[in-house]
Amino acid sequence: MKKLYSNKWVIFSLVAPGIITFICAILAPICLSFYYGLTDFSGMGSFSFIGLENYKVLMTDTSFWLSLRNSLLLAVGFICIQHPLAIITAAVLDRLQGKAEGFFRCVYFIPNVISVAIIAYLWKFIYNPSFGLLNNILKIFGAKAEVNWLGSGLAIWSVLIVLIWHGFGWGMLIYYTGIKNIDTVIYEAAAIDGASAKTTFLRITLPLMKPVIQVNVTLAIISALKQMETVYLLTNGGPGNETQFLANYLYKQAFNSFKYGYGNAISIVFVVICLLATVALNKIFAEQKTA
Amino acid sequence: MKKKLLSLLLVATMVTSLAGCSGAKSSDSASVEEKVTIRVFSNQTDRKTGQGLIEQTLFDNYVKENPNINIEVEALDDEAYKTKFKAYATGNAMPDLLNAWGQPSFLNEVIDAGLLAELDKSSYDDYGFIEGSLDGFSRDGKLYGLPRNTDVMAFYYNKKIFEENGWKVPTTYAELLALAETINEAGIVPCSMDGSDKWPLSIWMHDLIAKINGESKAMLEASVTNADFSDPSYVQAAQLLKDAVDVGLFQNGFETTDYGTARNLFANGQAAMYYMGSWEMSMATNEDVLEDVRNNLGVFAMPVVEGGQGAATDIAAWNGGGYAVSANSEVKEETIALLNYMFQPENWSKLAWENGVCMSAQDYSAYLTGDETEPQKAFTDIVVGSTSITGVTFNDLGTSEFKTISEDGSQQLVIGALTPEKFWETMAEACK
Repeated sequence: MKKLYSNKWVIFSLVAPGIITFICAILAPICLSFYYGLTDFSGMGSFSFIGLENYKVLMTDTSFWLSLRNSLLLAVGFICIQHPLAIITAAVLDRLQGKAEGFFRCVYFIPNVISVAIIAYLWKFIYNPSFGLLNNILKIFGAKAEVNWLGSGLAIWSVLIVLIWHGFGWGMLIYYTGIKNIDTVIYEAAAIDGASAKTTFLRITLPLMKPVIQVNVTLAIISALKQMETVYLLTNGGPGNETQFLANYLYKQAFNSFKYGYGNAISIVFVVICLLATVALNKIFAEQKTA
Repeated sequence: MKKKLLSLLLVATMVTSLAGCSGAKSSDSASVEEKVTIRVFSNQTDRKTGQGLIEQTLFDNYVKENPNINIEVEALDDEAYKTKFKAYATGNAMPDLLNAWGQPSFLNEVIDAGLLAELDKSSYDDYGFIEGSLDGFSRDGKLYGLPRNTDVMAFYYNKKIFEENGWKVPTTYAELLALAETINEAGIVPCSMDGSDKWPLSIWMHDLIAKINGESKAMLEASVTNADFSDPSYVQAAQLLKDAVDVGLFQNGFETTDYGTARNLFANGQAAMYYMGSWEMSMATNEDVLEDVRNNLGVFAMPVVEGGQGAATDIAAWNGGGYAVSANSEVKEETIALLNYMFQPENWSKLAWENGVCMSAQDYSAYLTGDETEPQKAFTDIVVGSTSITGVTFNDLGTSEFKTISEDGSQQLVIGALTPEKFWETMAEACK
């Protein structure tokens, strides 16, 4: 067996499927994108090479920066709101035991099972100013004005809440499995030593969860940057460009404005940002490990 | 030995079964070869009502009359359609008969990419297309498609609500704005508006430009070509739209209300008016529309603006959706034959009118029965009595990029992110 694995051809043949898929499905499209990003291609017909013009335009494109800001805002929202809540919920779920544990685990995961289109429309109706659920609840508590949740100013926060709520189940489930993998002996030892629930959580659960947190946070940031479908269906970036997100803006440029070249330039910047974010996160977590 | 026998047996069964397979296949392809398949790419997803029904009925009739033709329809909603259209355009598998919009923002790029087959203009002389209706589908004097209908923008209103409250159909824009306050006091939404799709807002301004200037087609076209929107009427139109927002003419949150929700507000009797195109005239016969609304449907055109040169008969109308034939189609002749069949006056024009779906871009006066629905009569009156027609709306006069920017701008205007002056500056910038 060992001999077999030292044969270069065997190694090659085992790695090849993965590498080929990666090259064909990821690397080649990125290279093509880079190439098209240097042209004024409209998506059909002929096109000409315009150098870095698209990138120059991009630098002064306020909508692009706004959508980048929104995407980063979402990433911050994920890390600061969604994930702390997810960890705590996971820890509490773990303590619950029995039927309640399974029940709540299911309940929290339901939003992830429902199709994105339904989620978007569900929230559209909840937010509707005239007959929406939210305003009707507020009315019961005596609010008079009809709040326009998806209107100018409020829209971005309303959208963030939906996205944070929607992604919550995934994050929680991964943390939950992480916690389940922690040896119960450690908790028993802590209990014998008289550690409170709070100390157990802070001193045992959290430190042992570090690798899980690392993976989860990286995933969250990338999914924040990639966010597209919910926003597309909920507001499509509106009103104005207030709830525009990077991926949605890219789509709009490439397919609605027929600026395929420009869309590709955005996608290249997009890839670079995602890579930088991943590298930066790995660095941060690596430093913590050595510290 | 046993093993060998078994494997031999297996091989034998495999060979025979494979032979069976190939035999079946070859006979299949032989029968297909005799048939010509025309692939249709449509934006009419609902094949049971409205324009989709008319389209499907014509296809079915055609196949019945021409048994050698087989028609395959792929239908997607507008936005998805445009995306997939582009995917088709970059590949080589463009369907044969396509839905197309006779507007520069959609068509010019497609024509320039050489994707559409040229049609013989003279062969449509006796099809009764109304004057100017083929312009949108022409480029440099060549014809590339046929329009399906004449679209007119107007207000649908609920006659019953109006009568019960003693409201009168406004004859001036000021009256319309004054009405907004009165209707709001009654706890009803004055006018339902689809602001999420943005183009109704653009068309509202377009409509007002016609009311301010009268004949405005040439002026708008020149403005887009010269990237010059300095004429004061433009700012005025934008300001008038903003005024309508400020007096609360539209429902709360209209800027994020989508097409369906806006329509339902009106169809469920929660809104007194609904600003939308003539393609919604089938509301009068649609069972899904509240009976009270369905039977009390009235229509009036955008009222005149005080001090404007235009009359109520200077209307915002154009010939939008239609069909084109793929230039690279392998069955081009058969497809053009199908297209011609569809637009013989006794087909599309007649069916569309009789079903109360829309007004065709052809002269349909021969099919008037007198039993038309109220909106049908009203729209016919509006078109017949018109003194000028705007043609393609300004947001569709430029490139597709201009369309995106101008429609986004309309939304920014109504939420106050752009002033009327800044809006037109942005438009001029986008035209360059």
